[in-house]
Amino acid sequence: MKNKFFRILLTAIPLWGAGGFFSSCSTDQVYVNPSSASEPQVVGDVNGLIALCNGLQARFTVSRASPGYAYPTTSGLVAGELNVLNAGNADEDALRQGANNVTNANSLVRNIWTQSNLVKATADLILKNANVATDPATRAPIVAYAAIYRALALGTMAQFWEKVTIKTEENATFSSREDALKEAVATLETAAAGLTAAPSSVFTGRIVPGLDLANTLQALIARYALMLGDNDKALAAAAKVDLTKRSFWSFDDTSRNPLFESLFSNRNVAEPNPNFGLPMALAPAATDRRTAFYYTTATATVNAGFASFYRANNTPVPVYLPSEMLLIRAEAFARKNDLAGAVGELNKVLTKTTDAWGIGAALPAYSGASTAQAVLTEIYRNRCIELFMSGMKLEDSRRFGRPAAGTTGAERSRNWMPYPNTERQNNPANTPADPAI
Amino acid sequence: MRNFSFTLRDRNRSLSLGLLLSLWLGLSGAGFAQTTIKGKVTDGGGNGVPGVTVRLDGTNSGTNTNVDGDYSLSTVAKAGNYKLSFSSIGFANSSQSVAIGAQTTITANATLQDATNNLDEVVVVGGGLKAERRQLGNAINSVSAAQLEKSGTANLVGALQGKVPGAQITQNSGDPAGGMTVRLRGVKSIQGTSDPLYIIDGVIVSNASSNVSQTALGGQINGVNPSTNRLADINPNDIESINVLSGAAAAAQYGSRAANGVVIISTKRGKSGAPKVTVSTSFNTNELRKKVFVSTFGKQFGWAGLRLHTIGNVSAAQIAANPGTTVSRYVRDGSNFDLATNLVDVTRYDYQDNIFRKAQGTDNNVSVSGGTDRTQYFVSASYMKNEGIVKGVDFSRYGVRARVEQRLTNWAKLSAGLNYVNSFSNEKANGNVFYSPINSINITNNIWDINQRDAGGNLLAVEPTRVNPLSTIEDMTFTQSVNRTISDVQLNLTPFKGFSVDWVLGVDATSQLGKNFIKPYPYQAVAGLPLERYPNGFASNATNNTLLFNSDLNIRYERELTQDIKLDLLAGTNYQYQQTDFTRASGENLAPFIETVSGAASTTVTAGYGLSRFVVSGIFGQATVGYKNMLFLTGALRRDGSSIFSPEQTNQTYPKVSASFIASDLGFWKNSGLANTVNSAKLRFSYGQAGNLTGLGVYDRFWQFSPSPFLGRSTILPGGQLANPAVRPERMTETEGGVDLAFLKNKVTLGVSVYNQQISDLVVNRTLAPSSGGSSIVNNVGSMENKGFEVALGLTPLKTKDLTWDLTLIYNQNRNKITSIGGTTATIGLPTPAGAPVFLIPGQSASIFYEFPYARNPDGSLLLTTQGLPQRERGVQNTTDPTQFTPQRAADGQPSGAFISTVIGNPNPKWTGSLMSNLSYKNLSFNFLLDAVQGVNVFNADKRTRNNVGIGNIAEEELRGTAPRGSVLALVPISEYRVDDGSFVKLREIGLSYSIPKPIKGIDNARLSVVGRNLFSWDKYNGYDPETNAGGNSDVLRGIDFGNVPIPRTYQVQLTLSF
Repeated sequence: MKNKFFRILLTAIPLWGAGGFFSSCSTDQVYVNPSSASEPQVVGDVNGLIALCNGLQARFTVSRASPGYAYPTTSGLVAGELNVLNAGNADEDALRQGANNVTNANSLVRNIWTQSNLVKATADLILKNANVATDPATRAPIVAYAAIYRALALGTMAQFWEKVTIKTEENATFSSREDALKEAVATLETAAAGLTAAPSSVFTGRIVPGLDLANTLQALIARYALMLGDNDKALAAAAKVDLTKRSFWSFDDTSRNPLFESLFSNRNVAEPNPNFGLPMALAPAATDRRTAFYYTTATATVNAGFASFYRANNTPVPVYLPSEMLLIRAEAFARKNDLAGAVGELNKVLTKTTDAWGIGAALPAYSGASTAQAVLTEIYRNRCIELFMSGMKLEDSRRFGRPAAGTTGAERSRNWMPYPNTERQNNPANTPADPAI
Repeated sequence: MRNFSFTLRDRNRSLSLGLLLSLWLGLSGAGFAQTTIKGKVTDGGGNGVPGVTVRLDGTNSGTNTNVDGDYSLSTVAKAGNYKLSFSSIGFANSSQSVAIGAQTTITANATLQDATNNLDEVVVVGGGLKAERRQLGNAINSVSAAQLEKSGTANLVGALQGKVPGAQITQNSGDPAGGMTVRLRGVKSIQGTSDPLYIIDGVIVSNASSNVSQTALGGQINGVNPSTNRLADINPNDIESINVLSGAAAAAQYGSRAANGVVIISTKRGKSGAPKVTVSTSFNTNELRKKVFVSTFGKQFGWAGLRLHTIGNVSAAQIAANPGTTVSRYVRDGSNFDLATNLVDVTRYDYQDNIFRKAQGTDNNVSVSGGTDRTQYFVSASYMKNEGIVKGVDFSRYGVRARVEQRLTNWAKLSAGLNYVNSFSNEKANGNVFYSPINSINITNNIWDINQRDAGGNLLAVEPTRVNPLSTIEDMTFTQSVNRTISDVQLNLTPFKGFSVDWVLGVDATSQLGKNFIKPYPYQAVAGLPLERYPNGFASNATNNTLLFNSDLNIRYERELTQDIKLDLLAGTNYQYQQTDFTRASGENLAPFIETVSGAASTTVTAGYGLSRFVVSGIFGQATVGYKNMLFLTGALRRDGSSIFSPEQTNQTYPKVSASFIASDLGFWKNSGLANTVNSAKLRFSYGQAGNLTGLGVYDRFWQFSPSPFLGRSTILPGGQLANPAVRPERMTETEGGVDLAFLKNKVTLGVSVYNQQISDLVVNRTLAPSSGGSSIVNNVGSMENKGFEVALGLTPLKTKDLTWDLTLIYNQNRNKITSIGGTTATIGLPTPAGAPVFLIPGQSASIFYEFPYARNPDGSLLLTTQGLPQRERGVQNTTDPTQFTPQRAADGQPSGAFISTVIGNPNPKWTGSLMSNLSYKNLSFNFLLDAVQGVNVFNADKRTRNNVGIGNIAEEELRGTAPRGSVLALVPISEYRVDDGSFVKLREIGLSYSIPKPIKGIDNARLSVVGRNLFSWDKYNGYDPETNAGGNSDVLRGIDFGNVPIPRTYQVQLTLSF
């Protein structure tokens, strides 16, 4: 009997054992990633929303894939601010050459489109769930933060494409860039209206340092209103910006200043062209102190752009320069044919010896012709110098009617960007035809 | 006789089934008289065959032969006629009838026929499961220990190259710990792996490549998997045999995990008898087989300091600063380039001489095996060290292994295996970065004497932004140390007649520790290295702990229903759990003298932790009906689930049917003259489905909101990769047919398999329109197919008493095609190193190269620019088929319109094949193996780099004036220029060995062998070696050459002694 018992026992062991594993295993078991969170968790929590606000900035500003790199670099390459040092950087070189060389697969162009759309989507997510923050002193700055990045996403796309997707959805429709800019301005105005009190410590204790919310909202309203030709709104908003305040993107050794990291820390990718890339007629005066601010003397290993806001991993980059507000006002006045007002604002830029960021041309006041054309040209020249590498150059070149791509004496290699393949192939019904150049 | 049947419905049923069985078993087994059957089992040459399983059919009695081939079996069977069967792997089964009556001792001797690839050969088809070839409806290919010994490599996967029909085995890197990739019948999955499942003695083992020693590469090596694949830990010397199941339908018992094929590895085991000791030792040297062309012509355009002198645009300021510089203007794609045309004298060096070396290696093994009738053991220890041909690179491995089998009763056997391995590798930076040894040569103008040092002995700077190639050797340390145990416990029971239960528990536990160190460059102030080269130093530690656990149960019931019809029922469960814990800490800006992350500046330190876990389980039932041992029909059903998929989607059912027919056993065939010509003929067919239950990242069905270290404040980013929670497992449907023929008394054998794999619900990380709020989504939107055939032809042209010559010819052809990648998506560009344009395009093979072709005239010749230089094609891209375009010409005949893209290369070979020859005369044997990969393209990134830098062959031709100035410049944007023919035929193995039986007293046998590996390659490749892959073990990046270490030529001397 003992043997028989043994036989039963021994045979039962594997059957029970393997059966036990099998039934306990349960592939119904859900293993979630302890190193990530889910959407409902994050958007249902105030701290989650603030962490997402920081995420907006991380996506928009950090790394070579971010608009923080691709936006000023693309604008700089297309509109002559930058030269390519090593043709092995094929997508950068294609932008410098422009025209047909910029294909629907260009990674910088694609990155601007993709990351701007993702930033916009996340901003929408935050705005949709902002009511999770019940304290208005926390909710309002969250809304302001998301609004700023929603506007930056729309505004950045509107500077490179004739048509832009505004709503985040499958098979999204395209709107004119003007509508996108209007949407950006509306978002900013709504947020500005809500931002009445000082942000709570819940917000300030968790948000990354750098952005001055109230001033940035107005500065961006001014910027995009100007692009829309809404000169009065631009004038009013620019006047609300406190020029002594600095609003900036912060960086450190692990979240690095993208232009320093990828361009100006070495001489392997691209370097500023001399004279801010301006044609000889508009070259800066020899005494213009802004040349020394934006340039260093290039050597075999030191990049000429190793200066200004690109000197180290952690050099902060201004979201806008206070002097942009002066130039916005100057331009708006000039376009309204108020030349005295225009020259008055222009002179503030020409004659200042420093400002919140230490930029000062220290030049004499404007002494050129008192025609709208001459004053606007001088404003353009000063925008190119004062706002060097800020990403505004392509937009300015178009708005000021500089010689277009494909024409004699062209000052830009393309006027508009083609729509990335990723969009066209997956939203074929709505993606517009590519611009000719 | 009670009838026994069951159905498989759910797991609870299987449990209650177990209980029922246990109860039922208890009722059987009445009293019987004891009889002893004994005898000797010999092979064709009269030598005793050890380890033969002897079973008395219809009872549960069985035993094994001892080392001399003798056996003794006690049984308590009732009187009557029984069949006594003998089986051993590698031999044909044999049986004879015995009449048990009153006598207490019966003698029954048997002779077994050597039966490699014979229909009656018994092969392992799964953990604990064996079958005769004749009843298998699908191809199964075997490689024996003898074939591994002659390979000249200590890498198990490398030793299989050229020996397995249907397999393409690629050595991705020439480093001794470099990765090896195995593809059985093509690419199977895009999102998941195409790596087959590896089973060693029933244990599912990890062949993963987890990167702990190349953490510096970070995001610089898009999509590349740079690490050693962990089968490198397995010692080929411990292997007895390898069986490869190529088809998805082949193995019901592995089911879903077998979608990519299964490699079943059986280790050596003990035979009863006196202890047998085998000692082997070897010494090898490795050397660079072929240098690439690097110009040493002492000229340069412009001036010595002009970087990229072949393509660099020279500005007016530069001309002014460098008197004597003259330029000419070249136009490329509408842009002007002023290229220097004057020559200056420089001294050029070939840095390859500073990087490569002649390297050595050794491999030593000792094993002891033996046992009694009831207990057998095999114990071994090994030490291997192999140096790489790049200075400072090596791989060493030591291990101990024990395998013990204990017969508990005459119907129960318990066995256990334990294998401990310690591997250690010294590595250099992966080729994909410009601080790797090879790429630092490719990217640096070679006019600097890199051996110069300052007073402190420090290396000096070379070209600005470039790393001194010697820094990669002297000042960078990347190491990986691995501790691994592979253990199993198996219980094999035959508790009553025709019924067997096998249970395997397996554990594979691996811990990897990687250390990474780049010393701050002493010359950074002069060199101005970009941040991605870590100018101020880098240190990192990473650990990866992996646990694989599996439990596999097989229950088998065999019964002869009538004299002609045999029923074989099989059922079982599989359970697998896998967990990987990865931890990393990295930092930069190291304190002087400190070589670890402890010395990194606090602001630069980053850390991360990753955890991956999943469970895969399945249950199956299979029935085989055999008719007259001539026709076999098999049907099986599996149900599989995996925690990687949602509970609603995970449990899927997969059917299989197969048939095998031994035509040569038909009466008319046997009795006709046909049998003299075609002595055996088998037809086989199988159809089956399998799900790829691991073909998805463990978290890919969730939309991940991931943290990011950002400015000291908590930060979360929603993933750009969206998720479909209801994503389903990919399903492969494979149909396979084949014949196995033997002619002229096995002098000629031919095996042909034809297959068609259709993969539906292909999981693709599909690109999304960014306006939808994501950049991609993982979903079942694709489909893919593999169609092909395999031919294995065996010839024995000579066979006499002293002289035997065997030849094996293998030919494989596979056509992979992606039939859909979802929606209207026309192309998916994959992230790649080296700017390789790797795309997934419907209608094309996976991972093709797709970008800019040359502009061509209608006759196919190059359409040159007005300056006589090649250029990119232009025209109108077809809007529906992205591979098609219409060329467009301006009035002057030059290309006009947009730059168009088309397929410029395919890294999937048209065919692969091999020729194996083995000639033996008395104790002397000579073997060689030719291995061919044909009709394949390589994206040769290095070629363009060398010419751009000014050290390549076209650069030198420009300097010498034999190629027009501007040639290199013109080629830069033409992607087709970078695609080379990667076809090759290699002399993979060649060896001579001599055996001396009983050379001196006390030694049974001595064998001395000389082996050469990869001695020659016949190819037209403009690089080191077309067998390479910068994508490492990446499943989708293949055939990219970017700073890769070439595969060395190896010479080895081996001595094996057995006592």
